[in-house]
Amino acid sequence: MLGWWLPLVLLGAALLPAQQYDLVLRGGHVLDPGSGLDAVMDVAVAGGRIAAMEPRIAASEARKAVDVSGLYVVPGLVDLHAHVFGYPGALFPDDTALIAGTTTVVDAGGSGWRTFDQMRQRIVKPSKTRVLALINIVGSGMAGETAESNTADMEPEKTAEAIKRNRDVIVGIKTAHFGGQGWTAIDRAVAAGRLSGVPVMVDDKIFTNTGRTTREKVLDHLRPGDLHTHMYNDRQVELVDRFTGKVQPYMLEARRRGVLFDLGHGAGSFLWPVASRAMSQGFMPDTISTDLHAASILVQQSDMPNCMSKLMLLGMSLPEAVLRATASPAKAIARYPEIGTLCVGRTADIAVLEMQDGAFAFKDAWGAKRLGTKRLECTLTIREGKLVYDRDGRGFPPWIAAGEYEVIP
Amino acid sequence: MTRLVLLCVLLAPAGAGQVYDLLLKNGNVIDPANHRSGRMDVAVAGNKIARVAPDLPAAHARIVIDSSQYYVTPGLVDIHTHFNWLGGGLNLLPDYNALPNGVTTAVDAGGSDWKNFEAFKSTVIDHAKTRVLAFLNVDSDLDATARTVQKHRDTIVGLQTVSRDAMGRAVKAAELSGTIVMVDLHGKSEGEYSALIRRMRPGDIYTHTYGRPIPPWASEARKRGVLFDVGHGAGGFWFRIAAPAIRQGFLPDTISTDIDKESVMLPRATMTNVMSKLLNIGMDLDQVVERSTLGPARAIHRPDLGTLAEGAIADIAVLELQKGTFGFLDSGRGRLIGDRRLRCVLTVRNGAIAWDSEGLSAPDWMKAGPYSNFK
Repeated sequence: MLGWWLPLVLLGAALLPAQQYDLVLRGGHVLDPGSGLDAVMDVAVAGGRIAAMEPRIAASEARKAVDVSGLYVVPGLVDLHAHVFGYPGALFPDDTALIAGTTTVVDAGGSGWRTFDQMRQRIVKPSKTRVLALINIVGSGMAGETAESNTADMEPEKTAEAIKRNRDVIVGIKTAHFGGQGWTAIDRAVAAGRLSGVPVMVDDKIFTNTGRTTREKVLDHLRPGDLHTHMYNDRQVELVDRFTGKVQPYMLEARRRGVLFDLGHGAGSFLWPVASRAMSQGFMPDTISTDLHAASILVQQSDMPNCMSKLMLLGMSLPEAVLRATASPAKAIARYPEIGTLCVGRTADIAVLEMQDGAFAFKDAWGAKRLGTKRLECTLTIREGKLVYDRDGRGFPPWIAAGEYEVIP
Repeated sequence: MTRLVLLCVLLAPAGAGQVYDLLLKNGNVIDPANHRSGRMDVAVAGNKIARVAPDLPAAHARIVIDSSQYYVTPGLVDIHTHFNWLGGGLNLLPDYNALPNGVTTAVDAGGSDWKNFEAFKSTVIDHAKTRVLAFLNVDSDLDATARTVQKHRDTIVGLQTVSRDAMGRAVKAAELSGTIVMVDLHGKSEGEYSALIRRMRPGDIYTHTYGRPIPPWASEARKRGVLFDVGHGAGGFWFRIAAPAIRQGFLPDTISTDIDKESVMLPRATMTNVMSKLLNIGMDLDQVVERSTLGPARAIHRPDLGTLAEGAIADIAVLELQKGTFGFLDSGRGRLIGDRRLRCVLTVRNGAIAWDSEGLSAPDWMKAGPYSNFK
């Protein structure tokens, strides 16, 4: 039996404007290179997902309408090389990532198969940022030079088992800082990658005589889809030939074969002469990542928008930079289009970026600056549909008109 | 003759041949502790402030920074922070959250007690670039608490309590050890609150001042010498309370952030941001700087901090006062539109440049030495 109240409810529903969306970003320039979108559009969010993208969505259709005109609306940035566990300079994800528009960080080798569960409990679970992991081929993770060179603790089977148990978080394998001779660390990382079907990211020592050359590394040991990180790190030994200034032919060949080149800026791996020479020859990073840690955040401020700004200073276009900071890294870890795009139906991870005009100094790994006139800065971040960072308070009403407010949702 | 010259060199007064490691040239200096205000140079030698005076010779300095567009103040002192990340929860890492905001001294508010203070010290405090001090949380063992305070006098500046029951104990332990109490009454009922505030002694600090309506007898407590601290946080600062209170003259004695994983996000309770909010609701720049440097240094009985006195440890903040239209949120996410914003462009901690967002001290890449092979 229908209640007497039903007609009233129906009437109410018809009269009230239906607020089908939780939030709408209005008037922004949407840049989603993954899906090829580059236009002024309104973006609506409901239930943590992108619900609609239209030239115009009325403010009345959402519980919260945010004016983002004059700003760029891009997929939440995906930082493929971050340090949020295990490494001595590791940072907490939320306060460095979300304020920079980064909604996904991939911890690069802080944990190994022995320590991954700790990382899941302490970092992955409590963070608002989506935290994924490349686990170290060393079982104990980034536990210092000695541990990281201990080949007895590099077990492909154990590593692959941990990956299979934790597919929701582990997206690949990292090998780094191996001080020993020969190829054990890299080959075992690749072996674990074969067993589990994930890519390997390699950070190799280049200033120590290890019996390894970069040429052999990228051509004989890495597979298509594996990542060579810290690509702009060297003076004249790795990427750019010291006599001709040209990008090494074996690097070009490796790229043709599908090896990916990752920025991994950090405090030692972005040098103006290397980056500008490589960029002027069109040798751009496939993926833009920060290698952010306690030292680099203070000295170089090299978060994602900073890295993107630097590459734009060297000639990369904004859509190219956004592509390499969203869809490309998501694809590199086989998470596209689950992340890295603003397609309707996908998780609403969104960054709103401001392109600033002025005079700005950008510092490289050796603390040398290069002046530029444009800088990207994150103004607002949405993670899983929730407004988590809002530099200018755009998403909230003036206090003077808000009455005896406690906490405005 | 050679010997005589050598002798003369050795006997020359230290000041005569003074070489500065860092010279902040022609900045707008605000140094309330020494009644300085106006254009002058600040020179650093080693880890100390060497001179503060107009027209110091730039030729005598290793790094010279044109500070004419900026304000130069003592390193900011934030007496309400949450940096004992060993305890997990909402705690943050000190350096990244302090130094980029000009904060060179941060006081952890109650994140440790006598049982785990040593671990906090050896793991967090001793490794931070930021000077991290502590209000110790009070538990039931008053003697152990007082002993810990006495043992670590140079790091523990007081006690903190958040509960009504602990209030009596905190005052007792503070008396035992001769220190002060910071009282955090967040979430307490009006009745409890008025009873507790009467038990506070002169020099004790009441935090979250603008987190609830300010009762008429707060002024009386202030007359008694109770100090009122901002403690912005995720639940301690509302424009609807702070704006009228400041208009009526109830200014904070100390400006602090209560920065943690929550407050650092939407309310963006970083030091320079909290200062900017107060600047836009009626405080002037001198007041804001004074209550972020001299005020808190006095409150925690550390006259060696919050000052640019010659001979003091060189902790310095270089601040930009931006003009334009800026939005700020309070703990309740009410929005304030302001026309000024403070931003820290350079921080000196213990004589070393710990933050330099504009690359003011960085060489241009075309002139940087190690690149010679690429020219």
